[in-house]
Amino acid sequence: MKKILLLIFITCSFALAQNVKPETLIRKVKENFAKVKDYEVDAHIHINVDFLKVPETDAKIYFKQPDKVKLSSSQFAMIPSEGLNFSPMSFFKGNYSAVFVRNENYTGFNTAVIKIVPLDDDKDIILSTVWIDMDYFIVRKTEITTKSKGTYALLLNYDVGKTKYYLPVSMTFLFDVKTDNLHGKFGNNKDTDKNGQKKKSMKGSASITYSNYKVNKGIPDSIFKDDKKK
Amino acid sequence: MFTIISIELYKIFRKLRTYISFGTIGLLGILILIAMLVEGKGYIDMATHKLKDSFSFVGNFLNGYLIGYLVLNTLTIHIPFLITLVAGDMLAGEATAGTYRLLLSRPVSRSNVLASKFIAGLIFTFLLIFFLAFVSLGLGLIVFGTGELIVFRPENLVILTSNDVLWRFLLAYLFAFLSMSVITALAFLFSSLVENAIGPIVATMAVVIVFLILANLDFGFLKYLKPYLFTNYMTTWNTLFDNPVDFSEFIKACRILALHVAGLYGVTWFLFRKRDILT
Repeated sequence: MKKILLLIFITCSFALAQNVKPETLIRKVKENFAKVKDYEVDAHIHINVDFLKVPETDAKIYFKQPDKVKLSSSQFAMIPSEGLNFSPMSFFKGNYSAVFVRNENYTGFNTAVIKIVPLDDDKDIILSTVWIDMDYFIVRKTEITTKSKGTYALLLNYDVGKTKYYLPVSMTFLFDVKTDNLHGKFGNNKDTDKNGQKKKSMKGSASITYSNYKVNKGIPDSIFKDDKKK
Repeated sequence: MFTIISIELYKIFRKLRTYISFGTIGLLGILILIAMLVEGKGYIDMATHKLKDSFSFVGNFLNGYLIGYLVLNTLTIHIPFLITLVAGDMLAGEATAGTYRLLLSRPVSRSNVLASKFIAGLIFTFLLIFFLAFVSLGLGLIVFGTGELIVFRPENLVILTSNDVLWRFLLAYLFAFLSMSVITALAFLFSSLVENAIGPIVATMAVVIVFLILANLDFGFLKYLKPYLFTNYMTTWNTLFDNPVDFSEFIKACRILALHVAGLYGVTWFLFRKRDILT
C-alpha cells in the first residue's frame, strides 16, 4: 500500500512539475516588475567582509527601466556591484534556456525553482537559479554563478500587501568571489603568483535595507551620468 | 627654568641647520601636494581599480586626510634624521664652540642646564611634528578638502568616514611626537658623550637604521630581539587607523617609548653630572 501511495505521489509531482512552465512564470515576473518604470529609494548598507572594513553607510539608489541604476550619496557609500540592481530583468536578459527544477517552500513561501542558462557565449553569467514566488510572481532568491566574479546570491524580502509595487524592503547579498589582491597599486601582493593568476576567495555578505520608495515619479537620464567623484 | 629654556630655544632657532629640518618638511609636503594635484586621481584610480571590480562606491578618496596619512609614513626614517641634526648638536655643539665651561660655571646647576636643553629639544621636536601636520594634513585639507580615508594594509583594507578621522590624526601626531622624542633623547645622550655634533647625528641614525634592518629580518634569534627594539614601536600610530582601534597595543607602545625617553634622559643625566668638562 505504501509503495502504491509513493508511486502516486511521485507521478503526481512529476505531472505537476511538467505543468509549471518556466517561461510563463518568468513572463509574469517581468510583467510585475515592468509596472515599475523608475524608482528612487533610500538604502542603508552594511557590508561584512573579512578583509574589508567599511562603516555602515546610507545612500540613495536610482533605477530606471530597463537597466539604468545609480548609487548616490553626499558622503561615502559602498555596495557590492552585483547587489546594486535587484531588477529581475537583469537575470532574464538576452537568449537563455529556462528549466523548471522543483517546487520549494522557501522561508514559508511557495516558490518554483527555475534554472536559467544563458545561450550567448559572451555572457559572464554561467548559470542562474531563481526562486519565484508562485503567489505573487516575485523573485524571492537568486543564486548566480559567473565566469569572472565567482558565485553570489540575492535574498529578497518584501512587504507584500502593504505597497502597490512589489519592491523589496531588504536584501541580503551573499558572495564568494575569487579575486586577486584588492590593494591595487601599493598593496602587498603576496597572494598572487608571478603571473598574478593565483586568486583568493573573498566570502562575505551585504545587508541592504530599503526605505522611502518613490516609484514612477520620473527620473531624468542625467541622474545616471557618472560624476567625477566616483 | 623658563628663562633657561627660552635661551636654549633661542640658540636652537638661531642656527641655520634648524631651518633645514623645517625647510625639508615644507618642501616634502608641497611636493607631495603638487604631485597629488597632478597625478592624484590616477593614483586613487590605480589603488582602487581592483576594488571597483567587485564594488560600486561613491566618495572622495583624494583628500587632505590621504595626504596627511601618506606623509606620516615617512616618520620612521626621514624625520628622525631631521631631528638628530638639532638634538645631536645640543650638547656637543657647546663643546665644539668651547662654551661648555662658561655655560656650566653660571649659577645654574648642571641638572637644570641639562633639563632645559632637553626640554628645548623636545619643544623643537614638537614644533617639527606640528609643522609636519600643518604642511601635510593642514594644507592637504585646504587644497583637497575632506573625504574618506582609505588605508591599505597587507591583511585588509580599511575605509574611514570623514567624521571619524580627525581624532585619529590628533592621536597619531601626539604619538609621532612621543616616538620622535626617543630619537631626540638618543641623540641627546650621544651628544653628551662627544665634542663634535657629527658623531651623535651619525650614531643616532646608525642605531635607527640597524634597528629597522634587524626588525625586518625574520630569522633565528633576531625575531626574539624585536620586542626590545624601540623602532618596532614607532609605527604603532598605524593601529589608530584600524577599525576598531586596538588601544591596548597603542598604549603599550606609548608606555615603552615613554620609558625609553625617560631611560635615555636618565642615563644622560647620570653621565653628564659626573662628566669632567675640559672644553
